[in-house]
This record gives sequence, structure tokens and C-alpha cells, in this order.
Amino acid sequence: MNFAYYPGCYLHASAREYDMSTMAVCKVLGIGLSELEDWNCCGALEASNPLTLSLSARNLVIAKKEGLDVLVPCSICFNNLSRANSAIREGGIAKTVINEAIGESYQGEVEVRHLLDVIVNDIGLEKLSKEVKVPLKGLKSVPYYGCLTIRPSKVSKFDDPDTPRSLDDMIKALGADCLPFKHKKDCCGGNLLMSSEEFSLKMTGDILSEAKELGADCVTVACPLCHAMLDYQQSKIESKYDIAIDLPILYFTQLIGLALGLGEKELGLDKNFVSTIKLRRE
Amino acid sequence: MMDKFGIVDASNLDPNFKYAISNQLGGENIKRCFQCGTCVASCPIWEIDERFNPRKIIRMALLGMREEVLSSDFIWLCSKCYACYERCPQDVKITELMGAIASIAEREGKEGNVVIKSKKPIFDKAFTNSIRKYGRNFEMKTIINGVLATKGIKGLLSYTSDGFTILKKGKLGLRPEKVKEMSQIEGIFKALEEK
Ligand code: SF4
Ligand code: SF4
Repeated sequence: MNFAYYPGCYLHASAREYDMSTMAVCKVLGIGLSELEDWNCCGALEASNPLTLSLSARNLVIAKKEGLDVLVPCSICFNNLSRANSAIREGGIAKTVINEAIGESYQGEVEVRHLLDVIVNDIGLEKLSKEVKVPLKGLKSVPYYGCLTIRPSKVSKFDDPDTPRSLDDMIKALGADCLPFKHKKDCCGGNLLMSSEEFSLKMTGDILSEAKELGADCVTVACPLCHAMLDYQQSKIESKYDIAIDLPILYFTQLIGLALGLGEKELGLDKNFVSTIKLRRE
Repeated sequence: MMDKFGIVDASNLDPNFKYAISNQLGGENIKRCFQCGTCVASCPIWEIDERFNPRKIIRMALLGMREEVLSSDFIWLCSKCYACYERCPQDVKITELMGAIASIAEREGKEGNVVIKSKKPIFDKAFTNSIRKYGRNFEMKTIINGVLATKGIKGLLSYTSDGFTILKKGKLGLRPEKVKEMSQIEGIFKALEEK
């Protein structure tokens, strides 16, 4: 199983631990990754619609030339690359605008896959649980999907937008307890940090508070922006609302890595802001 | 403004505004809206502040309240969560529609036709400047430029200790990663500017 790996800008910078744990886990699970040659930024949440779709499509054209489907761990990149692919496949004005901007006649030949989808649905949970060396027995986690991993469902396709279960099932397959979590598909407000810090910290604060009340040992996420909000902003939320949270936030690949018995360095567990020491099992 | 919504001055309406939006990528489906309010009930921003009301913004846009919509702070408060998009029975694609309206506002703001108070477009600009220059987001520089522009030097200094932690953790590169075929990136920006 081979993919063109699209890390995106965050995984080469502030989400380095997501990149490290992705590569470590894929190696064990037999998912071959070769980094997409000369990839560019997808436009994230900051570029306008036409710019985002065109920047994203340039990457798809490169993958097409490499003859590989694209594998994306970041949910923002995943959303943009998938939206570009859908817009091209639907035809219409967007297709013309994109192809003119990139100077190609791309027809949507490659597939864009989220890493979570590939692990849960291609590798499969049965194989995943067979690979478990250190079952996460007794560890309680809440699954946090956020927005772009599952919405819009016509674009992301692999999970149910109302009752998503890929992260839930994955957590259970590793031997951990998955707690029912009301905020699992609510927005973290990350995109509002510049327009209203107050709103965004409130949105993330609500998510963290529920996880804390449930007695979770960690929150499991699949998006670098969700991670930055829940992890990096956690201390700001603690002081703003005068509450103690101290809740580790793990990328799902870090959680898998722990169960596979991979080392803390390999998984970048020292790079999370909230200490993950309590979760290490070595 | 939006809070005084109720009395609409018909002489100030721009009947072409809805076409300007539907011609913008992402805004195509605005005229499909039948005002059911499902989007409002799904919107996490509305839950915090009822003045942010996607249905109302769409109604105002359809009525032609161009200036009120484009200078409204609320168009910068859409978090792009796609909750409304997922549920809208008319497939208005509200999330993309909000983006289309924001693009028009940005353009009109640059031309001096509307006043934009939100800092969001300034940060967005710092981000897209980085893409234009390197093909990728040089996160450290984007953050510094974005914070400087939105919070000033004092704001930037408040990040000093965080900055050291981040560097110590090896999370932010000191040098940008750059795309090799930068002419292709420039080509995309150019092609879209000419539109
Ligand atoms: S859900 Fe759709 S049709 Fe209903 S008010 Fe919102 S945009 Fe209009
Ligand atoms: S995408 Fe924007 S308008 Fe729609 S529910 Fe989310 S925040 Fe509200």
C-alpha cells in the first residue's frame, strides 16, 4: 500500500510530532509513504476560495504524475485537497478557474485520503489490534473529531457526520476506554483566534471542560489546528477562566504509537505542550 | 447595521449585490436560500452571540444591503466549521458563501469602498504573502507578522516565553522551506488576480 504523502506546512513546523508519529506508525503498519515531490501549501483557512482550490490542485497534478493517491494527516489540508478534487470532478465554473490558474487539464484522477480513513478502513481495526504490543488497558480517552475530518461529508466521505465512529473504534481497538463525548464534533474555534480570541478560547474551553469532567486521561485528535487550540492554548484557557485542566492532547497516531510500543522520541511525545508523561508506558 | 435591522431603507438597496456574490466562486447558490433557519440552529458562533446569524446575513445580501453586509464584523466570525453546510436543505453551501462575501469585502476594502474593522484579513494577508514568496507557509514569520499587525509590538513581546519553548521543542523552523517551481506558484496568483 503506497501513497504520495502530503505533510502540509503544519506537520513540518508546529505539528512536527504529528509528522513523526505518522511516519513511525505507517512504517509498522506497512503503509508506504513517499513525500509528494515539491508540494506547496494548500491555502489552509487563510486563502480565498479560488486561490485555495488552485493551490491545492497543483499538488493533485503532481500526485497524478507520480501515479499515486494522496495521503493527508492534516484535516485542513485534507479538506482543501478534497474540495479541489470534488470541484474538478463536478465540472462547472470552478473546474475552469482551477485548470486555467494551474495551467493544466486535471480531471480528478487521484484520490485524496485522510490518514485516519486509511488506518481504520484499509488497514482495518482487526489488523491494528493484532499489532498492539502494549494494550492501553485502563486508559480513558475522548475522541475529538472537530470539523474538517468529517465535514462536509460529501467531501470527506469516510465517516458519518452525525455519529462519527472512526476515532471511537480506533481507540477501542487499542485496548483503551473510549468515553462518550458530547463535544466530539463541535468546532474548536481555531479559525477565530485573530477575529475573536474570546470566542475561540470559549469554544475550546467548553470542549476541554467536558473532557476534564468526564475524567479522561487524554483527548485524541486528528487535526493540527484542533491540537494547537486544545494543547498550546490550554494554559491560556486555564488562566483566563481560572481553572485547572492539565489534560494531555494526543494525535491519534501518537496514541496508536503508544499501543504499538514505539518510543517516546519517535512519536514526538516530548513536543506536546501539556506533558504526556502520565501516558507513557515504558 | 445588523442590530438595527428591521427598518430597511429601500433607496439604498443594491439589486445587483446578489449577482456579485453568485459570480464569486463559492457564492453560486445564494439565491436558493428559502430562509428556513436550519443554518442558524447549527451555528456555534450564533450560540455564543445571537447577532451572528447566517440566515440574516444571507437575507440582507439577497435584499441588496451591500454596505451593511460588507462592513459587518460578523462576516469575519465564521469559523468554517461546515455545520450549517452539512444541514442546509437547499445546499446553499453557506461556509463557501461566507468566504465569497469576505472576498468581496476584502476587495472593496482595498479600494476604500468599505471600512473593515476585523484583524482577520490582515493575518490572512500575512499568510498568503508567505505562500506567494515561498510556496509554503513560513510559520514563524507568518505568526510574527500576523501578531505584529494585529496586536502590535506589545502583543508580540507577550509571546516571548512561548517562543522559546516552541524553539526548544524544535517545532518552528528558523528558515523557510521553499517550493522549487516557484514560477508555477506565481502563475496561480497572477492568473487569479487578473480575474
Ligand atoms: S439552512 Fe440553507 S435554506 Fe435554510 S436559511 Fe440557512 S442557508 Fe437558507
Ligand atoms: S460554517 Fe460559519 S456560518 Fe456555518 S455554522 Fe460554522 S461558523 Fe456558522
